Amino acid sequence: MSASLAPECNDVKERYDTCFLKWYSEKYLRNTATTDECEPLFRQYKTCLTKALKERGIDQMLEDAKADNKENDAEYMKPVG
Amino acid sequence: MVKFYSNTYSYDYNFPAVSLAYFLRYPNPYSRHVASTDTIERYFDPDTQRLTTVRLHVKQSRLPPAVLKVLPKSAVGSDENGRAQSFILEKSVVDVRQGWMETESKNLDWNNVLSVIERHTFRRPEEGLGTADHRTDVEVSVTLKSRIGEQLRKKRQRWGDQATASSVAGAGGEEEPVVKQGWFSSWSSGAVRAAVESISLQRTERSQPKAQL
Repeated sequence: MSASLAPECNDVKERYDTCFLKWYSEKYLRNTATTDECEPLFRQYKTCLTKALKERGIDQMLEDAKADNKENDAEYMKPVG
Repeated sequence: MVKFYSNTYSYDYNFPAVSLAYFLRYPNPYSRHVASTDTIERYFDPDTQRLTTVRLHVKQSRLPPAVLKVLPKSAVGSDENGRAQSFILEKSVVDVRQGWMETESKNLDWNNVLSVIERHTFRRPEEGLGTADHRTDVEVSVTLKSRIGEQLRKKRQRWGDQATASSVAGAGGEEEPVVKQGWFSSWSSGAVRAAVESISLQRTERSQPKAQL
């Protein structure tokens, strides 16, 4: 499992990653997924990570990148006929 | 001034395996420079069955000596050993129904020196089931762009020749204004950009085949 840039989030990240890999290979790739079952774990992980990113001042860099990406999003998320 | 690299190949593994392998890229012994990987967004669309993921990687590596020689000291935020840290944003969309995956990775910092955008498209081959089911077609494209000297050029256009390299470079400029002016006038910033892009393109061409999953 890869490490997190914030060591304090490593545990919750590992739990999320394990859940995701299981869901991805057993449900998603077999076309039987109906929801993202790992979402609750992801929210826990995201809470830890957001705090860490803010403390390290990385959140601003991500916000700037998101603003740039907005135009690309519309193209990527367009449903294909 | 931009440089492109593109390539197509195919893996002898089926699409599900390749897409899973993409998420499991790190850690691996061939990429020790990747210090961390974090998932910062994940969205599953139940209607289209598309999975969108955004990840943040932190890479620690040494700047190539060729690039280090070409850059002014102020642009280089590395320590004495030339070690530098860089943030990479990776965005991916997987469509399991239609059998494709598109990814885009780019650096978030160092963009004034060099911006690298790497795009992959993984696709299940079009041919009918049977032999095609165990292969995945891949298209890679890399866009390299350097913006060194652009700030200086813009400032010069606004203020005339009063602007010096030190006023753009910021910290570290005061000690050696004479040297900096000389450096910029002897080798135009356009040439520096082209040099950085060419060196990066050469490294991309060498490392891309090795980087195949």
